[in-house]
Amino acid sequence: MATSKHDTPGDAHGHQEPAHYDGHAHGHISVATYYRVFGALMLLMFLTVGAWWLEGVVAIPRLLGVIVALTIASTKTLLIVLFFMHIKVSSRMSQLYAAASLVGLLMLFIVIMGDYFARGWPPQLGPLP
Amino acid sequence: MATTALPGRGYLEDDTPTVWSWVKAWLLTVDHKRIAILYLLSINFFFLLGGLAATVVRIELVTPQGDLLSSDLYNRAFTLHGIIMVFFFLIPVIPAVLGNFLVPLMIGARDLAFPRLNLLSWYLYMAGGIFALSAAVFGGVDTGWTFYTPFSSTYANSNVILTIAGAFIMGFSSIATGLNFIVTIHTMRAPGMTWFRLPLFIWASYATSLIIVLATPVVGITLLLLAIERLWGVGIFDPALGGDPVLFQHLFWFYSHPAVYIMILPGFGVISELIATFSRRRIFGYEFIAFSSMAIALLGFLVWGHHMFVSSQSVYAGLVFSFITMLVAIPSAIKVFNWTATLYKGSISYRTPMLYALGFIGLFVIGGLTGIFLGVVAIDIHVTDTYFVVAHFHYVMVGGTIMAYLGGLHFWWPKMTGRMYNEVWGGISALVIFVGFNMTFFPQFVLGYLGMPRRYHVYPQEFQVLHVLSSSGATVLAIGFIVPIIYLMFSLWKGKPAGNNPWEATGLEWQVSSPPPTHNFTRIPVVTSEAYAFPPEAAERDAASWRPGSPL
Repeated sequence: MATSKHDTPGDAHGHQEPAHYDGHAHGHISVATYYRVFGALMLLMFLTVGAWWLEGVVAIPRLLGVIVALTIASTKTLLIVLFFMHIKVSSRMSQLYAAASLVGLLMLFIVIMGDYFARGWPPQLGPLP
Repeated sequence: MATTALPGRGYLEDDTPTVWSWVKAWLLTVDHKRIAILYLLSINFFFLLGGLAATVVRIELVTPQGDLLSSDLYNRAFTLHGIIMVFFFLIPVIPAVLGNFLVPLMIGARDLAFPRLNLLSWYLYMAGGIFALSAAVFGGVDTGWTFYTPFSSTYANSNVILTIAGAFIMGFSSIATGLNFIVTIHTMRAPGMTWFRLPLFIWASYATSLIIVLATPVVGITLLLLAIERLWGVGIFDPALGGDPVLFQHLFWFYSHPAVYIMILPGFGVISELIATFSRRRIFGYEFIAFSSMAIALLGFLVWGHHMFVSSQSVYAGLVFSFITMLVAIPSAIKVFNWTATLYKGSISYRTPMLYALGFIGLFVIGGLTGIFLGVVAIDIHVTDTYFVVAHFHYVMVGGTIMAYLGGLHFWWPKMTGRMYNEVWGGISALVIFVGFNMTFFPQFVLGYLGMPRRYHVYPQEFQVLHVLSSSGATVLAIGFIVPIIYLMFSLWKGKPAGNNPWEATGLEWQVSSPPPTHNFTRIPVVTSEAYAFPPEAAERDAASWRPGSPL
C-alpha cells in the first residue's frame, strides 16, 4: 500500500486527532432540560401505577390496558434515548445506529408475534383472549 | 504543522525496575497490542480447557456402553465444552486477539478510539470466565450451551445461574470491543484511507461489530429473564407459570445465530488477507467481498428460526426462515468464488498461513453446503439433534474459525513478536490439523444421517466403528493443536528476527517495525493507493528468489 508520511498533530502520549473525525459540533443538553425530562419520567411512572390501579377497579378491555401500558413505556424509552442518551444531539451516524437497533427490535417483535399467532393453537386455548 | 515526537520503542519492551511494576504495566495497559496479547493468553487458556472437556467426551464415546461417565456427568462434560468453546473462545477469539492488535495498525491509527474501554473489555472477559469456571468447579451445569427452557429455568439441578452470569458478563466484554471497532473505523482512519481502500479484514471486523452491538444485548436480557424465572418463579418461559418456552428459543437464537457470523466473519477477513498475500494478487472482486460481509451481517439477523423447525414454531415461520437461510448462501458463495478467482494465475506460495487458508476454504465449503441441507425443513426434521448437525457446525466453527485464527496467528506472529517460527513444523501442523479435523468430524455426518442422536453417551453397537474413528481423529487434531504451541513458544527465544515485512505483504501494519512501536506510527501515514496493490514484479521476484528447499 503506497503511503507517504504525514505530520499529524498529536500529543506526547500519542493521542491522535482523528483523521476522519467528522468535525460536526454536537449540540448540548442543558441541565434544566434534564430536570424537565426527569420530571416527565416521574409523571409517567405515576401514570403507570395509576393505569394498573384503574385496571383493577374498573372493567377495561385487556387489549386497551396493554395498549395504554405500552404507550407509556414507549414514551419513557423515547425520552431516555433522546435526552439521557444524547441521541437527539448526536451525529447522524449515532442516530442511524440507534434507529438500526430499533428496527432490529421491531423485527424481533414482529417475527415472534407472527409466529405466536400462526402456531395453530387449539381454539379453546387461544392465544387471543 | 507540528511534528510529533513519539517513543519508537517496541510495545513489548519495558524498563520497569521490579517484577511487580512489570505486572502492573501489563495489567493496566491501555495499548491495544498489549491488550491483544492478554486476550491471546487468556483465550488460548480457555481453548485448552474446552479441548480438555472435548477429550473427555470423545474418550467416553469410544465404547457404546457409557462406562467412563454417568449420563449426568456426560451432560456436564459436553455442556462445559460447549459453553467454554462458544462464549469464551469462538466468539471473542479473532476480534479480541487479531482485531485488537490489527485494527488500529491497519487503518493507520495509534490506538483504538476508547483504550480504557478496551482494557475494561478484557477484565469483563476474565470476570465472565471466572464465573463460568467456578460454576464448573462447583459441580458444573447440565443444560447444554443453549440453556433451553423450561429445563434450565425450572428443572435443572446444576449451576445454571453462575454459568449464565458468566455468559452475561462476557457479553458486555464483546459489546465493548464491537463498539470500539465501529467508532475507531469510522473516525480514526488515516488520511487517504477511504472505505474502499480498507483491508478486507477491517470490513469483516466492522460487519462483525455491527452484529455484536445489535444482537448481544438481546441474549443478555434473555439470560437475565431466565435467571429471574429460575430465582423468583416469574412466569416468562415456563408454561406452568403462564410463560412460553418457545419464546426463549426465539430470543436465544436471535443472538446465537448471528453469533455464528460473529465467529466466522472475522475469519473471512483473515482469509482474504492471506489469499491476497500468498497469491501476490489484489483480491478478486474486492467490493463484492466487502459488501458480502455486510450482507451476511444483515441476513444473519433473519434466519434464526432455522434452529427451531421442530420446536412447535409455526409452519409459516419455518417456511420463511428456510427461504431466507438459502439467501445467506449467496454472499458466502461470493466470497469462496472470489478467493478461488484470486488464486487463478496468482503466484501462489504454500507457506503455513496459506495452508491454513486453503484448508479453511475446503472445510468451510463442506460446512456451508451441509448448512444448506439443514436449511431445508424436510431434511432438517430428519436430522435434527443428530450428529449430522454436530458435524455441520463443527465444520463451520472449527473448520472455519479456528483454521482462520491459526492462519492469521501464523501470518501476523512475526509482526506481533518480531520472530519467525519454524516453517517446516508450521506446515506439518497445518496438515495434521486438516487431516485430524476431517477424521474427527466427517464420520459424524454419517453417524448423524444414520440416526445417532447428539448428547447421548450410550449408543447402539453398530455406531462404534464411526465413533472410534472420530475419537482417533480427535487425538490427531489435539496433537495438531499442541505442536504450534511448542514451536511458537520456541520461536520467541530462538526464532530468526522477522524484519518489518517478512511476507512482502501490503498493508500499513507491515510498514512499521516488528514488533510495532508503542504508538504504532511516529507519523500518521497518508494512504495513496488501494489495498493489496502488489507491484507487477512481485511474482517474478518470488520466482527468482526460490531455491531448492525453500517453502513452495
